Amino acid sequence: MSTAGHAPTGAATSGSGTDVLRVAGLVKRFSGVPALGGVDLAVAAGEVHGLLGANGCGKSTLIKVLAGVHDADEGRVSIHGSEVPMPFGADGLRARGLSFVHQDLGLSASATVLEHFALDHVAARGSMRRIGWGAERRRAAALLARFEVAVDPDTRIDQLSPVQRAMVAIVRAVASQEQLAEADGERLPQLLVLDEPTVFLPSADVAILFKLIDRLRSAGDSVMLVSHDLDEVLEICDRVTVLRDGRNVGTRDVPGLGRNELVELILGIQIAGVTRPTDGTTPSPEVAMVTRGLSGDRVRDLDLTLHPGEVVGVTGLAGSGIEELTDLLYGVRPPTAGTVSIAGEEIARPTPATMLAHDVVLLPADRKALGSAPRLTVLENMALPFFAEEFRGGRLRWDTLRRQSQDTCVRLHVKPADPAALFSSLSGGNQQKALLGKWLDTKPAVMLLAEPTQGVDVGARQEIFRLVREAVAGGASVLCATSDYEQLVQLADRVLIFADGRVKDELTGDQITKDALTTAIYAGAAA
Amino acid sequence: MILTKNRSPAVAAAADDGGAAATAPVKLQTRREPERFALIGVWAIVIVVFSFATDRFLTTGNISSMLGSQTVLLILALGLLIPLRVGDYDLSVASTLGISAMLVALLNVNHGMGIVPACIIAVLVGALIGAINGAIVVKFDIDPFIVTLGMSTLLQGVLFWISDSATISGISIGLSNAVLTGTILSIPVDFWYAVVLCAVLWYVFDFTPFGQRLLFVGQSKDMARLNGIAVGRTRFLSLIASGTIAAVAGVVLAGTTGSADPNSSSSFLLPAFAACFLGSTTLKIGRFNPWGTFIALYFIVTGTTGLQLLGAQNYVQQLFYGAALIIAVILSKILRQRNDRQLQNDARRAALATAPGASQPTHQKETA
Repeated sequence: MSTAGHAPTGAATSGSGTDVLRVAGLVKRFSGVPALGGVDLAVAAGEVHGLLGANGCGKSTLIKVLAGVHDADEGRVSIHGSEVPMPFGADGLRARGLSFVHQDLGLSASATVLEHFALDHVAARGSMRRIGWGAERRRAAALLARFEVAVDPDTRIDQLSPVQRAMVAIVRAVASQEQLAEADGERLPQLLVLDEPTVFLPSADVAILFKLIDRLRSAGDSVMLVSHDLDEVLEICDRVTVLRDGRNVGTRDVPGLGRNELVELILGIQIAGVTRPTDGTTPSPEVAMVTRGLSGDRVRDLDLTLHPGEVVGVTGLAGSGIEELTDLLYGVRPPTAGTVSIAGEEIARPTPATMLAHDVVLLPADRKALGSAPRLTVLENMALPFFAEEFRGGRLRWDTLRRQSQDTCVRLHVKPADPAALFSSLSGGNQQKALLGKWLDTKPAVMLLAEPTQGVDVGARQEIFRLVREAVAGGASVLCATSDYEQLVQLADRVLIFADGRVKDELTGDQITKDALTTAIYAGAAA
Repeated sequence: MILTKNRSPAVAAAADDGGAAATAPVKLQTRREPERFALIGVWAIVIVVFSFATDRFLTTGNISSMLGSQTVLLILALGLLIPLRVGDYDLSVASTLGISAMLVALLNVNHGMGIVPACIIAVLVGALIGAINGAIVVKFDIDPFIVTLGMSTLLQGVLFWISDSATISGISIGLSNAVLTGTILSIPVDFWYAVVLCAVLWYVFDFTPFGQRLLFVGQSKDMARLNGIAVGRTRFLSLIASGTIAAVAGVVLAGTTGSADPNSSSSFLLPAFAACFLGSTTLKIGRFNPWGTFIALYFIVTGTTGLQLLGAQNYVQQLFYGAALIIAVILSKILRQRNDRQLQNDARRAALATAPGASQPTHQKETA
């Protein structure tokens, strides 16, 4: 919380005169909890600067502050040596030479490359001006040629390959910055912020993207690359800055920087107080759920066995396939290949309805859109699985349903324990406990959890862990897909490490530490 | 009309048991939500004002005519309520009504068919139209707004085609007798049919699993699917229901007028929507509900009838219905936001009160 004494710990130096962006003591709090606790960062002209850190380190918040999504609470930001007054406004630092390409790229699938470029170009000149399509096409073609991007301007975005899309987004960002600079009359080196642009790219295509980044660097511009992938960062970056717990823990020159040193920087010292489960549950030799050769969009050829009485953690970097896994197991989307069996019975066409009928439940990561109906009451949300069995004597037994949800709320410390409350009026942690309680009341054989503690406060988080362990002790089988390592340490009996859609490694019991998880995840990604 | 699931007593009662659970449940302050009854209040005021303004207003004849005259519209609006509950629009209900009335007339008058089979065929055709709408919407995953808009225009074409653009009169008096001639409390029986339909919908919506499925599908189709609800089938059935009920409304229309006019049906569409939307601002704010629709519709009828008694022209109906729809949509938005805010504040206060010390505000976890 203190903002004093955030001395820069970086070993690298750079002349401040050539810095495109300089950030000093940046603080951002959410409801009093600091997400950024005084970040210092300097990006020099003509360098590719990596921004690294574990999940929750503050990378996203920092980018969002620069992009104008959040306003910082404290700190100073200067561009080309002149300080920018805060707040930056909705456009962030775009007007001052920063451009952003986020992971989703911000392209419209059904519009053509030309339409995207023309939109930016024309928007600056007033909305009722006639668009000269011939000139716009020549301009777009020239831009693409300059960056050696072999794409026809008349191609629709959804007809491009992932790497072509990424490149179009980058060229577009650079071009609209240049256009601003033209208007100002002088062209200063600009800074392009790339937020995890390689996550969904096959490794062969990453090289193509890096050629484009290299070209920008040669032209004197700077690139800030946000990434999880250490090898990519070591390959392309000149310097890296590592954030941990909202602070800059070091800026290093890449030449001479070892992979292990980087991992150490990202991890820091182990956080004390994280303990392994000690409830002495032993997995039963029986089998709750089995997959054979299961494949989806990212997941490839998965053979998985879940036993009653165990929590199987699944983790990996973004894009490794863990985001898709719970959906695939629950039949949300049909698998492209492979089979799912529950308690020895093969499920012919897995859908959520058939999975539910086999006592498999899913707690999805997107609580608001998929997990609950926020506009309905707590009672209605919690009663949903029981409508059929509580329809007796020609009417729904609302009194029984109400008592049941009331009891569950009290038992799970859902506050307020009022079934008539609107679901959206509960806090994130209470919502999640209510939804977990709903499924626990159905006595599930298999529980699939996707990021179960996302947006959940610390207290509720521990209670959720306790409830999951209780269910496991009662013979349930739990699969938890998460990128929260600490959660896996506390919750999981074994952890499967995913990379590139496949299981690359497995940790069991006391092997599961944050350290071991991180090492395994980055090793898996590199393999 | 006790429509809310009675909230407070059970909440307080369940606090005593629970044994190990140390936390006593927090009972929120009773939320009266006076807005829920605002429309009824306004309706009462309108009635009082017109009673003083003209002595022809509060007469048995006028009341019976107000209640009886809009039965077709009420039935149509109740049918429309079902897809609205699922979050889908059915713009073809008015044309279905027109087709149904015309079929009764054609079969009965031109082809000499008995009135009962003619009515049954008309209702079955309505169900078929709903099934076609539903099949297209579900099978090809197309927005029902577009599908039913197309269907509505297509049916209008069919209507003029099969009728040669002419009114067909002379429908068997049996139908009139069944819907119009008999009265209960000096109100034509068809009004009571509509009241029964209203009660049936209330029962289905609030006391059957099917009704709850409609509600959840209407909230979020993805969420409903993840909870094992057959979303496609639910939407399909709801469009069949609206088509069938619209056809029933058509039969009632044929009975009350004794004829079928190809031009009359399209004027029912907007009033039906207005009643449904205005109804969703009352009794259960933010939810399409049958008794709310009933109240909204007769509120509008009271207003227009009173103004006409005072000498207003026929166009006040359109003014009234159009304005009611727009105001209803704005109102429901405002009321919902206000309500949400209050509930959120209540819940936050309650959570803080029960968690001494541990009252950490939830913060969004950073997703880097």
